[in-house]
Amino acid sequence: MSGRKIGEVILDLKNISLSFGGVKALQNISFDVREHEIRAIIGPNGAGKSSMLNVINGVYRPQEGDIILRGVHHANMDSYGAAKAGLARTFQNIALFKGMSVLDNIMTGRNLKMKANMLQQAIWFGVAQREELAHRLKVEEIIDFLEIQHIRKTPVGRLPYGLQKRVDLARALAMEPQILLLDEPMAGMNVEEKQDMCRFILDVNDQFGTTVVLIEHDMGVVMDISDRVVVLDYGKKIGDGTPDEVRANPDVISAYLGASH
Amino acid sequence: MAFFLETLLGGLMSGMLYSLVALGFVLIFKASGVFNFAQGAMVLFAALSMARFSEWIPQWLGIDNLFMANVLAFAVSILVMFAVAWLVERLVLRHLVNQEGATLLMATLGIAYVLDGVGQTVFGSGIYKIDVGMPKEPVMMLESVFEGGILINKEDFVAAFISALLVVALSIFFQKTSTGRALRAVADDHQAAQSIGIPLNRIWVIVWCVAGITALVAGVIWGSKLGAQFSLSTVALRALPVVILGGLTSVPGAIIGGLIIGVGEKLSEVYLGPYVGGGIEIWFAYMLALVFLLFRPQGLFGEKIIDRV
Ligand SMILES: Nc1ncnc2c1ncn2[C@@H]1O[C@H](COP(=O)(O)OP(=O)(O)O)[C@@H](O)[C@H]1O
Ligand SMILES: [Mg+2]
Repeated sequence: MSGRKIGEVILDLKNISLSFGGVKALQNISFDVREHEIRAIIGPNGAGKSSMLNVINGVYRPQEGDIILRGVHHANMDSYGAAKAGLARTFQNIALFKGMSVLDNIMTGRNLKMKANMLQQAIWFGVAQREELAHRLKVEEIIDFLEIQHIRKTPVGRLPYGLQKRVDLARALAMEPQILLLDEPMAGMNVEEKQDMCRFILDVNDQFGTTVVLIEHDMGVVMDISDRVVVLDYGKKIGDGTPDEVRANPDVISAYLGASH
Repeated sequence: MAFFLETLLGGLMSGMLYSLVALGFVLIFKASGVFNFAQGAMVLFAALSMARFSEWIPQWLGIDNLFMANVLAFAVSILVMFAVAWLVERLVLRHLVNQEGATLLMATLGIAYVLDGVGQTVFGSGIYKIDVGMPKEPVMMLESVFEGGILINKEDFVAAFISALLVVALSIFFQKTSTGRALRAVADDHQAAQSIGIPLNRIWVIVWCVAGITALVAGVIWGSKLGAQFSLSTVALRALPVVILGGLTSVPGAIIGGLIIGVGEKLSEVYLGPYVGGGIEIWFAYMLALVFLLFRPQGLFGEKIIDRV
């Protein structure tokens, strides 16, 4: 990893607890994320990883705990507020807009940056059109960056799974986020696709300085690309540290040996 | 043959208005999952607003120009419908996020009653005239093709033309602008749309505003024909079977469904009416939609409903 420098704590999660009826998805979880780092969340299926990400970007509201983003408490964040605060995410079950083309999907990621109002758009001249073009240029950069030029006009529903995941990432990048939350970006991919995705994540982190919070099932991948790792199991935090520290943690070892994968 | 064509054209023209109202309905359903039972009440409310303001504004301002009065009344009525949209979002929808479809449906029934009540209180409960200078006299067409030509109602023609224009304009707006794109995104996936920074509340206000505009245009057209009166809300409710026929989530479905029902009504009125008695046009649309539902529950163009797991 090149010249990037890991900074101060940008996102601090304190004593987060979340339950669904009787299911305790997260129990008193605390960890922090530093600026410019790649922070992974790992753990067996059902450990609460996705729930954690959903709490961070306001899809779920925890019953207890505190989310501090750049020193500001966000007790009542919803996912729109999270987007405004500079958080972008991808989804475990790809949540692209199925009816729209790749380009349109990525353009939706520019929504917060657009200023032209409805009336200007309704009339369609001048401001709105110029703005659309400027955003289009930015989107084309992202398309080039992720090497998806050839599918620009394809409706996303027709793309193979691996490419859909890439478009999902592109849409998140179009938001120019400070923090990027990725929920299993490599699940269901073949080895080559996984390598590509790893490279993109590292490049985003390196070139744009984007902080990345990454959920991954595959230990090997995670250990390679992340700076620090949180390990969850049955809603509890059982490990936190550098990949080497986590690998040597007996609780982690037994959780992974205990689970059938 | 000429008579059949005449009926068919009449049906297509009146169907265009159903399409317009149905479009407002579909947009709301797509963007928020709300089955908007208040659409008919909105048409009535808009028509009453238009009728009364075109009467009041000349009195207030002391102008004596029908055209100016209509333009001003129309502009004020647009603002009225926007205010309705804003209030509906503020007072109702916002508090019912993530509730069951049935809850939302009941809420729109409530909105319908409130609109009817407020409308009668503010605007009165009589029959009011809307005179926007729609041509009343019929014209002959295609006299060279058919003996005697076919008779076209000019008023219906103008109405259909305006509706079609509005439908096209709205389609372009939703296909070509970033607001339209945001709306399609919300229709596709609420959660993802919010997470990338599309504000659901604002989109809801926008679709209710658009539905308000379609209601206003339909209200003015029907109102200038029948007078702005309580029964307009039932006329507009005939857009419901249109929507069922076309598929709740389909814009082209709403348009084609409207045309089918318009034509069906007119043909059945003329050809079946004598056998089953009058008034067939009142229930025909519902019956057609019901029969249709048996065979294709998702409507003509609707997506097959597959539950997410
Ligand atoms: N929306 C929800 N409703 C009910 N239970 C949920 C919901 N989301 C997650 N859970 C439960 O919370 C636990 C953690 O799930 P999740 O966070 O998806 O795990 P992971 O992403 O680590 O596989 C599971 O037991 C799951 O069933
Ligand atoms: Mg998960």
